[in-house]
Amino acid sequence: MARWGMVIDLEKCTGCQACTAACQMENSRAPGESWQDVLFYTEGEYPSGTLKWFPRPCMHCENPSCVHVCPVKATYKTEDGFVLVDWNRCIGCKYCIIACPYGVRFFSGEKPLIEPDPRKVFPSGDAHAWNPPWRMPQQQEDWQHGVGVAPNGVVTKCTFCYHRVSQAPKDAKDLDPNDPKTRDYTPACVVTCAPTARYFGDIDDPTSNVSKLIAEKRGVRLLEQTGNKPQVYYLSGEAAAVPGTRTQKQA
Amino acid sequence: MNMTLAKRLAANGAPAANTILAVSGVALLVTLAVTFYYLIAQGHVAFATKSEGVAWGLPIITYVFLVLTSTGLTFIASMALLFGFDDFYPVAKRCVWLAVAALVAGFTSLGLELGHPFRMLWALPTGMQYVSPMFWMGVFYSLYLLFLLLKFWRMELGDWDSGLSRLLGIASFVSVVIAHATLGLVFGMMSMRPAWYSDMMPVYFLITAALSGAAFAVFFTYLAYGFDRQAMPSGVRELKSSTRLPNIFATLIGVTILMVVSRAITGYWTNLDGMQAVREMVASPWFQFELWACLVLPFVLMAAPRLQTQQRWQILASVLVIVGLFIGRYEYVVSGQRVPLFKGAWIQGLAEYTPSLAEWMITLVAFSLVFFIYAAGEKLFDLAAAPEGKAGGTAQMQAA
Repeated sequence: MARWGMVIDLEKCTGCQACTAACQMENSRAPGESWQDVLFYTEGEYPSGTLKWFPRPCMHCENPSCVHVCPVKATYKTEDGFVLVDWNRCIGCKYCIIACPYGVRFFSGEKPLIEPDPRKVFPSGDAHAWNPPWRMPQQQEDWQHGVGVAPNGVVTKCTFCYHRVSQAPKDAKDLDPNDPKTRDYTPACVVTCAPTARYFGDIDDPTSNVSKLIAEKRGVRLLEQTGNKPQVYYLSGEAAAVPGTRTQKQA
Repeated sequence: MNMTLAKRLAANGAPAANTILAVSGVALLVTLAVTFYYLIAQGHVAFATKSEGVAWGLPIITYVFLVLTSTGLTFIASMALLFGFDDFYPVAKRCVWLAVAALVAGFTSLGLELGHPFRMLWALPTGMQYVSPMFWMGVFYSLYLLFLLLKFWRMELGDWDSGLSRLLGIASFVSVVIAHATLGLVFGMMSMRPAWYSDMMPVYFLITAALSGAAFAVFFTYLAYGFDRQAMPSGVRELKSSTRLPNIFATLIGVTILMVVSRAITGYWTNLDGMQAVREMVASPWFQFELWACLVLPFVLMAAPRLQTQQRWQILASVLVIVGLFIGRYEYVVSGQRVPLFKGAWIQGLAEYTPSLAEWMITLVAFSLVFFIYAAGEKLFDLAAAPEGKAGGTAQMQAA
């Protein structure tokens, strides 16, 4: 069985946020609920300050602290590498939001990022938190795997586009958006990435493209010291390094 | 034993209990109504908590404060019930009832904050996520509530010393020691939150819980007798007039000051990313108020031989310590979350948090509930009851 992982080449990433927008559309997320985000920050001071950016999906960790802390097993790790939330089980205690070192989890139904609240503008008549105008087909919605428009009071997160990837051909070792056979099963952020900074494939298979990239270009993982072992690898090359700190406020 | 409920309500309790019952009952109804209005009309939008900043807000802080207070009250009751300090018998039963009140109020605050609280009933036992500290916190605080109620039931029957009663006393003490430790681990095991990460967190909670319980025990005993020592039964009056209680109180305050100051110094000294919020906390006027007015001043009052046994200073010290510990819980829970992890595109610097009106309402619901359950206990039961021969008198002579 494949163990899916992602490689993001920071030398190629232009910080255009197309991945963020594609994720919002594909997964019907509310503004601010950025499962995939590109973080902008500055390094250094005038006159040598530089603007940097850092793309950040869920890391789908090998050893995920969010799964360990969940008191009801609502968040779980699948054999093929996804970290998912069962919205039928989640009690909304937010402990996983606390325990994720990468800040990739969101509470459904909290204060909106923008006014007027889009969830009020597009209200839902049923258990869904809202009825967004951009919405995936009803048959793809799958609350057990945290896919689709969420109910209120649960935690949501990037699914690695589980609804697409889980349908991929069994023998596929890389999901390449340029290959017509695998394009439809590739995560939305990878498909949309204009500078092709993103790669998706089986990181357990040493012959896959992602494994080769990690080996040849010395892929690194974010915050290795936490022991979470992300399945998202960054290629930093000569370009921006993986940020070491999490806030601009100096310690 | 055959008295009807109405007769009991009319006969029991100091006059103060009627007033407290009425005021807290009205407060409870009003705050509950406002809270449910917010939860039904707006849902969690009414909370100031945010995924990219402080996700655990005031209701969680209230929960931590109250369940640790319950823990401390059990410690104070156990002084007499388990550890042979007989002079604590006159306050033991009231402490056990107050422990029930604080625990139920804490659970209420938590329940009103959760997205789907009732799912816990089936999702906790079917999930059996034994690696989660929060799972064990749920298990042991539930067991603790059960043992506490059973112990109170035995005391109400006048059974203080039978094998079963002693076993229930031991069970409630042991379960709450484990429960508060797992609550400490809920925070202390989070290595990604350096302001919380510490294997000493269960010990920190143990000391501060004991202090919180001691402050509540002092305050509510005075409250029960209308803040008049002369109205107290001799056993309670002797405990209040002795140096034993203030000495224990002062010791707990002293150890707490040590822990608060050492945490502040560590936070100031370290360069570790994630500890920035501790610096901000120490620089805030709230921290200074907590340290000097709510810990150092009560320490002086309770350690000074001339002041420590006086009624007014005991009451003042207990109120200040309660206020200070609540500020401390607030700072502790919030400062662990202010460094915003990898959400920097939207947050520059540290995350800000100011509780919303809906969150304050939940806190007021919880505190009203403490007073309401306590006053109902005064009316329904004889909370000053003590086993025969241990209601005071001789123990005071030894202590003095």
